[in-house]
Amino acid sequence: MEELFGLSMDIIMVALLAVFLPVLAGVVLVAWRNPVMLKLALRNIPRRKSQTSLIVAGIMISTLIMAAAFGTGDSITYSIRKNAVEALGTIDQIIVSARASESDTIGSSNYFPYERFEQLKVELAGMDSIDGLAPGIGEFAPTINSRTSLSEGQMRVAGVDPNTLAGFGDFHLLSGQEVRLESLGPNDALINEEAAKELDAIPGDQLVAFISDSSVAFTVQGVVDSGGLAGQESTLLVRLDRAQEMFGREGMINSMAVSNLGGVFAGAELSDEVTGALRVIFTDRGIAGEIKTLLNRNEVLEQLDLLGPALGGGLTADLATFAAGLREASLTDEFIGVLADEDVQEEVLNAVSAAGLVDVERRAGTLLAGLAEFRVIDIKKQVLDQADQAGSGVTSIFIIMGLFSIMVGVLLIFLIFVMLAAARRSEMGMARAVGAKRRHLIQMFIFEGTAYSVVSGAIGVALGLGASFVIVFVVNRIFTAGGSGAPENFTMFAHFEIRSAVVAYCLGMVITLSTVGISAYRVSRLNIVAAVRGLPAPSQRSETPYRQHLLAPLRALVRPLLLAVTALRALASGDGGRAIGLVLMSFWAAVTVPFAFFGAVFQALWIPLGHGWLTVVAGALLTWVGTSSDEAAPLRIGVTLVIVGVGLSIRTAYHRTRLRPDVGDRIAYTFMGVVNLAFWVIPFGSLRAIFGDVEGGIEMFFISGIAMVAAAVWTVMYNADLLLKLLTTVTRPFGHLRPVLVTAVAYPMAAKFRTGLTLAMFALVIFTLIVMSILTEAFSAAVGDSDQVAGGWDIQAEVNPNTPIDDIRLAIDEKPGLDNKDFISIGGYTAFPVETRQVGASEQRWKFYAVRAADDQYLQETAANLKLIANGYGDTPEEVWEALRLDPNLVVVDSLVVPSREGFASDEIPFELEGVFYEDTEMEAIDIEVREPRTGQVIPLKVIGVMDRLTDAFGELGFGMIASRRGLDEAIPFRIPTTTYRFKAAEGTDIPALSKDLESAFRENGMETDVLSELVDDIAAANRAFNYLFTSFMGLGLLVGVTSLGVVSLRAVVERRQQIGVLRAIGYRRRMVQLSFLTESTFVVLMGIAIGVGLGTVISYNIVKDIQDDIETVRFAIPWLQIGIIIAIAYVFSLATTYMPARQASRIYPAEALRYE
Amino acid sequence: MFVEENMSDSIITASSIHKTYDTGVVKVNALRGVDLTVGRGEMVAIMGPSGCGKTTMLNCLSGLDEIDSGQVVIDGVVLHDLPDDERSDYRARRMGFVFQLYNLLPVLSAVENVELPLLVSGTGPAESRRRSMELLDLVGLSERAQHLPGELSGGQRQRVTIARALVNQPSIVWADEPTGDLDSETAGEIMDLMCGLNADNGQSFVLVTHSADVGNRAHRIVRMRDGEIVDDGVNAVTIPQ
Repeated sequence: MEELFGLSMDIIMVALLAVFLPVLAGVVLVAWRNPVMLKLALRNIPRRKSQTSLIVAGIMISTLIMAAAFGTGDSITYSIRKNAVEALGTIDQIIVSARASESDTIGSSNYFPYERFEQLKVELAGMDSIDGLAPGIGEFAPTINSRTSLSEGQMRVAGVDPNTLAGFGDFHLLSGQEVRLESLGPNDALINEEAAKELDAIPGDQLVAFISDSSVAFTVQGVVDSGGLAGQESTLLVRLDRAQEMFGREGMINSMAVSNLGGVFAGAELSDEVTGALRVIFTDRGIAGEIKTLLNRNEVLEQLDLLGPALGGGLTADLATFAAGLREASLTDEFIGVLADEDVQEEVLNAVSAAGLVDVERRAGTLLAGLAEFRVIDIKKQVLDQADQAGSGVTSIFIIMGLFSIMVGVLLIFLIFVMLAAARRSEMGMARAVGAKRRHLIQMFIFEGTAYSVVSGAIGVALGLGASFVIVFVVNRIFTAGGSGAPENFTMFAHFEIRSAVVAYCLGMVITLSTVGISAYRVSRLNIVAAVRGLPAPSQRSETPYRQHLLAPLRALVRPLLLAVTALRALASGDGGRAIGLVLMSFWAAVTVPFAFFGAVFQALWIPLGHGWLTVVAGALLTWVGTSSDEAAPLRIGVTLVIVGVGLSIRTAYHRTRLRPDVGDRIAYTFMGVVNLAFWVIPFGSLRAIFGDVEGGIEMFFISGIAMVAAAVWTVMYNADLLLKLLTTVTRPFGHLRPVLVTAVAYPMAAKFRTGLTLAMFALVIFTLIVMSILTEAFSAAVGDSDQVAGGWDIQAEVNPNTPIDDIRLAIDEKPGLDNKDFISIGGYTAFPVETRQVGASEQRWKFYAVRAADDQYLQETAANLKLIANGYGDTPEEVWEALRLDPNLVVVDSLVVPSREGFASDEIPFELEGVFYEDTEMEAIDIEVREPRTGQVIPLKVIGVMDRLTDAFGELGFGMIASRRGLDEAIPFRIPTTTYRFKAAEGTDIPALSKDLESAFRENGMETDVLSELVDDIAAANRAFNYLFTSFMGLGLLVGVTSLGVVSLRAVVERRQQIGVLRAIGYRRRMVQLSFLTESTFVVLMGIAIGVGLGTVISYNIVKDIQDDIETVRFAIPWLQIGIIIAIAYVFSLATTYMPARQASRIYPAEALRYE
Repeated sequence: MFVEENMSDSIITASSIHKTYDTGVVKVNALRGVDLTVGRGEMVAIMGPSGCGKTTMLNCLSGLDEIDSGQVVIDGVVLHDLPDDERSDYRARRMGFVFQLYNLLPVLSAVENVELPLLVSGTGPAESRRRSMELLDLVGLSERAQHLPGELSGGQRQRVTIARALVNQPSIVWADEPTGDLDSETAGEIMDLMCGLNADNGQSFVLVTHSADVGNRAHRIVRMRDGEIVDDGVNAVTIPQ
């Protein structure tokens, strides 16, 4: 994984190390100079072993979550790279005909003469960076093993020239022995490992491959390692001349593989150089010259100069080279090199479009289409780049998902140190009384915090990486279960980079140490007398005059200079030792100037912020930023700040009256909590009505979760006494439990800060789990509706295009095991790639898309739902399908090519319609043009409908605009075989059995069938499994929450030891003490659960309602069972953690406790 | 005369009480065969130097601590034969405690602290509240009933403790250094209160104290040294003339 959130991992690591290492060095230095404080800090660690263990566990889990996210990202990157490299072997680039579609890496039916390879070989002879060029044929043919009767419908038949293997390495049998292609006879073949597995084939077996109406038999001479020319998918390897003969393509090839100098990884590094050189060779210089003349105009050059710098990366340089090439008098190789790059072509056309030159753009588009004879696919580089992108994408998702858990972890660390401070209050008061300074207390805390975190962070990273291994295991299980959209033969490997471990560790340390630093600062401000005498802390007011606060930022800026001047003076007076010390201090002050400055600014602003008015101003500014940039995050945080500011202003105003200040506090804080809560639970639609459309990403989930939970906890904690009264009334009938309940509720309510933090942690965790569960349920229910998804069909069958079925009904009649009566209807279509553009749209380039040319039966019988129907083409989907059947110029497009107002975009298909949005309620018919890439023939079509998003499971069951094949048959000069059939089975038929019968009957046609409901279930199950995986990952936060309760309970036992003695003295039984502790935890846990479940349900409802605009079938449903399980786990584990401390409390001997101080 | 009239009607009888604390490193013989009898309605002060075993004796007699050997009989009940739960119930119904450090629950208001023993012994909430308020009134703190202990002065907190000790109308009140943390004036007020309650209600009081002033207010002073009773005599000061 190279990047995270768009930042290079190297930079992140260096930045974190730059923060962490100096801080650690600083702590070590200060510890070395203050051994007494170090000793005081470290002696506390072994004093209470169970408490120390819980603290270590708490810190560990936060680091664990981050390390797990990084480990998973690394594993994904590594796995894709490994799979890619294993699949490609030494192949770095593939050369196919320029007519082949974008996704075509085997050339398919776009053949070219073998002589072209020989010419190219001569042209490339002087190019050192290429060490291999191999011509070949790649085709697919259904193949059967005669011995085992097993078949493979999509067997790749690779024809390889034995004389061109230099640079690609030899083929090796599984035993490691080298095998030479030259030794193969005309009816001999090698198969790779996958093919052997699929057909259960061994050397000597006879395989029969079916091509068109004939078949060819081969004897397996050996099973070779997969990868490289031997392919990754099931492959039958034959000599090139034999393949040419088999497919009737004598003297032709359809692809050339290129191997760069260097091994499997090093070769990819030369990819840019080789690809550029090849593109220059393949470019038609005449057309390139025409393009240069066409585009060499000021408007285009101006746009290129504007666009280039904005793109960044290699494209900026490429566009600059392109612009320079345009200005040159002659045609240069550099110009041709960049011109042949498809990304550059895309941006150049964008520039032409931005210049408003519609005709030029059209002409340029046409010229570019004929620019090169071949397409050079830098396949290995592409796959490796994709691996990096996928890795960082997944890490980003896991990190965002884990943010809640990390936040809970931060709260736990804060809570831990706040409680440690409470425990040490008296001894710290004593230390201050005998002369220790505030900074000594801060140091003591930081020493202790560092000791805990340095160790537990390291363990956390190790465990986190272990957790990522578990995630990899689970993902592999999901892939094995199928239907997840994972590429075939893809296996995930557990892997992590040292860099990621360093980043996770440093990130954990920086978060922990910052939290420790803040809590230490808070602790250091204790009142000495109150601390020594164990009295409640009096409210503190700053004794520093406000003007001094205002001057503090200035002082922070000049401090390094003043120290340096003092050092010079000390040097002048001959005090060298002091001068060195001052120079060091000056250096440190200079390094920390930004922190000191902003800290001082914050302190200066703190008072007016606390009064409220400045908070309102800050909030209003942020809101304005949000509304003007249409960004949700600043807008919503801004409004929240305004509400908080108004609350604080109410408080300030109230405190200036003679009324009771506590009443003012209650009014102000309740106002903040309740109004903020109301603001955050408002449905998104209502917010849009107020603020207009604003954009928010996945981060809004995190922000809204934190804001809602904070507002709810805030409200509850400031009105806890009312809750207490309510409980007192409610528990009136339970006389014997009353004393237990009284203490169980009174204690947590008395320690508002501590209880509030614990409550917030618990509520946050439950909140995230509930939201995940409800959303998973909503989407599973939607995707799992097989009738909706599969358009009412029962079975889908794909046949090999090389062995099509002429008439399926007739063919069924001829098969003894099949009966036409079992099928109510059979529809078929052929999917093939085309280039498409919309007539009159601002974008006039040809973009890849696909056509599904469907037969009449398919159009008559499909029940696929439509989201939009063009005016004038009826009101129901049936009318639209009928219109398609009658008029071959009409088409219905996938939802994937229609943009969404919600930004719900698909990047799978480059083509996108303009002038219509998925959320619209009506549309006009849209004219488009489709170009068949092989012939260049352009066919005008009209879009009259848009399919529902759920149809074909978001494209997983196939995509492409649906048209009647009759029109296309007439328009395209070659035969289009039907490749996909869909069957509706008669009532009462055993569909899975029928599916198997079809597959077996048509195995010579390479038929592979799927029961659509099973396929849809598989997709839904895989989606659900991924969601469960995310839920489990987020569930790690639950561990933090449970740990926090354990810490709080243990601390409570220690703190209340004497009070437990009193309770026992006045007659509390052991069980009552134990029950009181357990009830206390229950009280906090149940309140947390109530807040989490309540808010989680509300926000999920809002999200589901919002998504329903896009996907109607998403339904809001509460998964009671799952939520019940989450609640039960949370409750049982919390009680289990509290059980030990509660038991410990109940075992305290009263006399002993009363003696305890 | 009080002592002579009541000696035959003893509420506490302790005989040959032994108690040793074993820290694993050292053994401390805190009580070495102590015998003591306290009469019904009697106020006994246990005095002696620090570490002589005063608090240990109070804890052992009240059942807060286990004894190694001997027997404690309270109102005919052999206390240490009772299982822990029954002993807890017995304390809830029959005993009240006052400690030096007040030992109020800081999270409960004065009245809630006072009513806790009643709730523990199963009295209904309304009745508990009524009686607690009566007791707070008796100790002069009804105005402060809703205050938390942190909002009360030392003397006020000790009055709340006394109210809590007496709210379940116990036969015996155990007080460990009840005035130890108070100034002399407040200490005097607290002793006035306890002596008054003792005289009015006839409850037995066992006080552990360092203070001669407190000791002098008791009917009897038991002096201890090194875990043994070295002197047990009627306090001449308090003998009604």
